[in-house]
Amino acid sequence: MTGSNRPRAWRVAGIGLLALCLPAGILAEALLDQESGARKSGPPVVEPLSVLDVEGQAVRPLESPAAKAVVLVFVRTDCPISNRYAPEVRRLHERFADRGVDFWTVYTDPNESADTIRKHVREYGYPGRAVRDPGHALVKAAAARVTPEAAVFVPAAGGPRLVYHGRIDDRYVDFGRMRAAPANHDLEDALEALIAGRPAPRETAPAVGCFLSDPP
Amino acid sequence: MIRRGVIAAALLVSSLQSHAQDEGVTFNKDIAPVLFANCAVCHRPGEAGPFSLLKYEDARARARQIAAVTQRRYMPPWPPEAGKGELAGQRRLSDAQIELLQRWAETGATEGASADLPPMPKFPEGWGLGEPDLVLKTPRPFLLRADGPDVFWNLVYESPVAATRYVRAVEIRLNDRKVGHHANLLVDRTRSARRLDGREFGPGFPGMEVSMEAAGFEPDSHFLFWKPGTVPFEEARGMAWRIDRGTDLVLNMHLRPTGKPEQVAPTIGLYFTDEPPTQKPMLVQLEHDGAIDISPGSTDFAVTDELQLPVAVDVLAIYPHAHYLGKDVAGWATLPNGTRTWLIHIADWDVNWQAVYRYTNPVFLPKGTKISMRWSYDNSTDNVRNPHQPPLRVRAGNRAEDEMAHLWLQVLPHADGSGADPRIPLQEALMRRRLAKYPGDFAAHYNLGAVLEAEGRLDDATVELRAALSIDPAQPTAHNSLGAVLQTRGDLDGAAREYREALSVRPDDVNAHYNLGQIARTKGRLEEALRHYREAVRLQPDDADLHAQLGATLLEAGDIEEATEQQRKALDLDPAHANARFNLGQALFQQGQSEAAATELREARRLRPDDADTRTALGGVLAALGRTDEAIEELREALRLSADDATAHDGLGQILLARGNVDEAIVHFRAVVVQRPNDADACNNLGSALAVNGDLRGAAEAFQRALRIDPRHAAAKANLARAQSADRPQE
Repeated sequence: MTGSNRPRAWRVAGIGLLALCLPAGILAEALLDQESGARKSGPPVVEPLSVLDVEGQAVRPLESPAAKAVVLVFVRTDCPISNRYAPEVRRLHERFADRGVDFWTVYTDPNESADTIRKHVREYGYPGRAVRDPGHALVKAAAARVTPEAAVFVPAAGGPRLVYHGRIDDRYVDFGRMRAAPANHDLEDALEALIAGRPAPRETAPAVGCFLSDPP
Repeated sequence: MIRRGVIAAALLVSSLQSHAQDEGVTFNKDIAPVLFANCAVCHRPGEAGPFSLLKYEDARARARQIAAVTQRRYMPPWPPEAGKGELAGQRRLSDAQIELLQRWAETGATEGASADLPPMPKFPEGWGLGEPDLVLKTPRPFLLRADGPDVFWNLVYESPVAATRYVRAVEIRLNDRKVGHHANLLVDRTRSARRLDGREFGPGFPGMEVSMEAAGFEPDSHFLFWKPGTVPFEEARGMAWRIDRGTDLVLNMHLRPTGKPEQVAPTIGLYFTDEPPTQKPMLVQLEHDGAIDISPGSTDFAVTDELQLPVAVDVLAIYPHAHYLGKDVAGWATLPNGTRTWLIHIADWDVNWQAVYRYTNPVFLPKGTKISMRWSYDNSTDNVRNPHQPPLRVRAGNRAEDEMAHLWLQVLPHADGSGADPRIPLQEALMRRRLAKYPGDFAAHYNLGAVLEAEGRLDDATVELRAALSIDPAQPTAHNSLGAVLQTRGDLDGAAREYREALSVRPDDVNAHYNLGQIARTKGRLEEALRHYREAVRLQPDDADLHAQLGATLLEAGDIEEATEQQRKALDLDPAHANARFNLGQALFQQGQSEAAATELREARRLRPDDADTRTALGGVLAALGRTDEAIEELREALRLSADDATAHDGLGQILLARGNVDEAIVHFRAVVVQRPNDADACNNLGSALAVNGDLRGAAEAFQRALRIDPRHAAAKANLARAQSADRPQE
């Protein structure tokens, strides 16, 4: 079961397809954010996504030449479930940071201010860099639906490929239904496999958490 | 008839159509009323809910979330099944409300016309009942780690009041409400929890449930419970609970790590009333922890308990408690006529949402009703909350990974008109039931002993307390209780033995020192008494009672100065300590400060107007001050309160004799002689009065009696000689 009561069709058609299938409007929206409207919507482009980090710098999280894998962790400041995962994300960062894995914390809520986010990063000790994704460009690239949710990209010839997305582990089974300890460490297993040169054991596993805000 | 049916069907169709025709579900018209009434109590700024749901934009952005959590009935949290007990403060959405929320989310979560928006709900700012009369803070916050399983932690708040107060409401405020799942405030009248405090990390101590020691019969009476979104519960009139100087409060908390380290510093607000309780509720526990032995993999392990009520009761509130394997709990009552009444049923137990539930109206259960509990447990891998994966055998215990099977009820036992405390037969029934479940149980024997003592059944109490001590000889509280029973029975040596046993186990047991002091004082061994009282005062310097007892003993030992000082210390600690006032008055009188003595004794009289000794002492002081009218009034009042008070009779006799009211004086002196048959002075006084009245033969008999008691009584000798010489010439 996922966070919703209805079965949902997952939007992953196949590895590598997502980045190519992004609708143009979304990319444009992401770029508008940092280039003050310089770029108008145009033909589909295969281009690494650019967003702003919490200091207002434009960054391209998926474009990390040295990284064997890029992990996006989708969070929001007011989600108790994603907050409770901060220590686990730190643990994974410690385990993988010097093994060629980049970690990005992605704040998804358009209503959260930069100050609120900076304070949140500090208080919860999120590792890696934090970026804002109010236009949900990264959300769409990663097919994220809730927080917390993780996405793992690897570099590939046609652009970054999404190789795992979904829950960090299976501690939450449903709203209000928690295991004392996770039985499956899905994100960790995916990273271990990728570093060892194997495919992730599964492409996705449903995450339980707070639905991403519907954009206005 | 048929026609009516058709009309009804037609109406139904037209109402459906009108619904379909309207502009759809909007926030202002349909959603805000549901959110304001059911969600906003927690989902507003500063409260436990992670976000506010007061404004359209807040709700719109979370429309899907709201739809999902309400459809599952995860929110608002209300675990009890509908229709199985009329519980107050229900937070349960109707199917129609849930359907509205779904439709709203599916149809774009529109705002609607601003005219449709109901007024914002009003909540009190800050404290729910206004500024409390007393606010308690933790000396140091407890540091909750960022990660890991839930934490069950207890903080001790020491002696918050200087004198006895009655509490009508409590508010427990967590500095951050998001860390707490629920909390229970426990009243520790014997400071027993302090011994656990700080043994492990930080202030406080771990544990899901805390058991307190009790001295004598004083069963727990109130649920002092906090969960998110509760407004403080104000006790019904006459049902305040007592807090004394030296009473500790223990906050038992269920905390959940939030992802960052949290400083947990709960604040407790107490609201007092001047009205002492007139009704005495009691907590009744159904439980059978001893039957908990759940093999791994079992999916429906049942634990039951029941109790037949020896008195009629009103059930006021109910509190089920189990841990992570708990699956289903049912509580019901079977009335003497066989009808069954639901008390509660939770079909999907979740320890995280455990709560005290109060009834909208008290549930009356007649005498002879059987109350029953049934818990079931799932110790399989299907229970995701199972702390053991793979499952292990689980038994009862206080750790989160152990189990419990409890159903607490707050009941108000009905008095049967005899004037007896109806809690006593109830407690006796509970403890006898407990002994049936656990024949070798220390606490059951101990509590039964305490209840029998309260009933005045001292022989039976002795048997039970001895049984308790045969099970666990190292329980100082039980030695103290047995000692107290023996002391009441007049077996001072036996009592002293028990108190010494208590001291051998716990050398700093204040009660044992106090009691030994009392026995030594009774036996006239003042030095020994002083030693024990001084030790008790050293151990518990903030206990007014100890200072008062020490002072009284010092007065007996002739150390008036230190006696006065000790009484003043007692009064510094507790200005309303009537006994200390009384003792201070006595000490001042002995020092010749009669006016000051009268002031203290008047204050003592105000504090305990029904105490004959106080009236008598005040009467004596007033007589010495020459205010005989007032003195007579006090002494008469003393005798109205206690007809056998020899001191009052004596004083009144002397005043009346001096005023020439001889007949009445004789009545009082005779009463003194009856009360104190071995008191030579009393016989001498009676003789004198008789002589004044001209009854020289009776007077002579009284003087002779005085001399038989005390052959060297000079006044009696002289009086006898006078009476006899006056009598002779008439013969």
